[in-house]
Amino acid sequence: MRLLTHNMLSSNIKGVTNGFPLRIEAEKVVEKQVDLNIDFLKNMFPKIEWKALVSASRTMGYAELPEEVEPSKLDSEEFLRKFHHALLELHLEEGALVCPETGRRFPVSKGIPNMLLHEDEV
Amino acid sequence: MAVSSFNCQACRWSSSPSSTLAPRARVSVARANTVAVSSKKRGFELRAVAEATATGTAMEAVELKKGIAELYDESSGLWEDLWGDHMHHGFYDPNAADVSVLDHRAAQTRMIDEVLRFAGISEKSPIRNDKRVVDVGCGIGGSSRYLSSKYGANCKGITLSPVQAQRANALAAAQGLANKASFQVADALAQPFPDGQFDLVWSMESGEHMPDKAKFVDELVRVAAPGATIILVTWCHRDLGASERSLQPDEKKLLDKICSAFYLPAWCSTADYLKLFESYSLEDIKAEDWSPYVAPFWPAVIRSALTFKGFFSLLRTGTKTIRGALAMPLMIRGFKKDLIKYSVITCRKPEETTV
Repeated sequence: MRLLTHNMLSSNIKGVTNGFPLRIEAEKVVEKQVDLNIDFLKNMFPKIEWKALVSASRTMGYAELPEEVEPSKLDSEEFLRKFHHALLELHLEEGALVCPETGRRFPVSKGIPNMLLHEDEV
Repeated sequence: MAVSSFNCQACRWSSSPSSTLAPRARVSVARANTVAVSSKKRGFELRAVAEATATGTAMEAVELKKGIAELYDESSGLWEDLWGDHMHHGFYDPNAADVSVLDHRAAQTRMIDEVLRFAGISEKSPIRNDKRVVDVGCGIGGSSRYLSSKYGANCKGITLSPVQAQRANALAAAQGLANKASFQVADALAQPFPDGQFDLVWSMESGEHMPDKAKFVDELVRVAAPGATIILVTWCHRDLGASERSLQPDEKKLLDKICSAFYLPAWCSTADYLKLFESYSLEDIKAEDWSPYVAPFWPAVIRSALTFKGFFSLLRTGTKTIRGALAMPLMIRGFKKDLIKYSVITCRKPEETTV
């Protein structure tokens, strides 16, 4: 699971008011190279929850993303490479995503998050 | 506005053959309450609808989900072998005579294109490459990968089957689409996404598996962003006539058999779905019956199963798949009786959501 996906997942357990972002428990992180696509990154940037991406990438062992991004940064190739790396090249292979309110763990196995809720959580 | 009850043609997943409004178990009522509370903002009452579609106890819902996951865990490989990576009907010209097997893969991708066109998405107003798509009931990701590769969209697929999610991700990686299409194990009735996340909400032949149609539609609408298009392609039973309260007994019997083979809960009609969509503030709600365009599909699937390769592959998969295979002539019968409809439904969320 790459962080682009993590940035779009939330815990919708019954009663939870804000299930985003899910905390990451990283047991196995893998880096997979992906070709840089600047247009894609520029288009995706406005849709990304930046703070969630920063903290998620730190949990995965990557601390290069700046906390704040001024619009001019989007023209910096150095910034875009870091954004690209965090968003697309870091993979959580084994671990869990944790609901920020209830602490409920959603396992991630072989890179696939299992977001199924139990009957009493719906 | 209270939504009047609609007929829910029960199959094996509820305890009585003609379920109507009576809630059957605490969990069903609780679910109805949850849906009613969450929809209060929209100022309408979904309770009657939720109760009408409640198909049994919590145990049965768990059993159904498990059955669906296991069916697809077991049969996905065989299906992919024989038919490729799309697990939906192909679109055929109604006048086409004999269609060869090779045409079926093209027909399946044509189905996606024709559905998009019906929903107003085409060369004139395409899906842009920054658009986010959710593929609800994604199978092994055929639709998602097609939408990603042809239109550059970013797709997230959800399926109950871990085997399918694994295969979907592997195929995406193999096709160089891993950063455009990703797949998770999740429940369409509790989608793991925040509200208003997606520009296109896509459900291609997965609605048949949803035991709670009201909750299913509620989730499709919830995750749609303002201005988003919702597309639902699904098997329905025929609309009931004005004086009918339910299907005929022989019709119910046929659907019951199909339900138990394919792990389907109760069927509803296209009119039932439209009533659900109409209870939200959605625009351009429309539906069409595309049964004539899919007519060659099941005979072709049966022919594949009866080939040397198909037959022995089938024997090797497992009992769930075999039972599903034996039910295929029932689908043909259902279409021929005008009982089963291949329904294409679409609508759009307004740009500014009204409360």
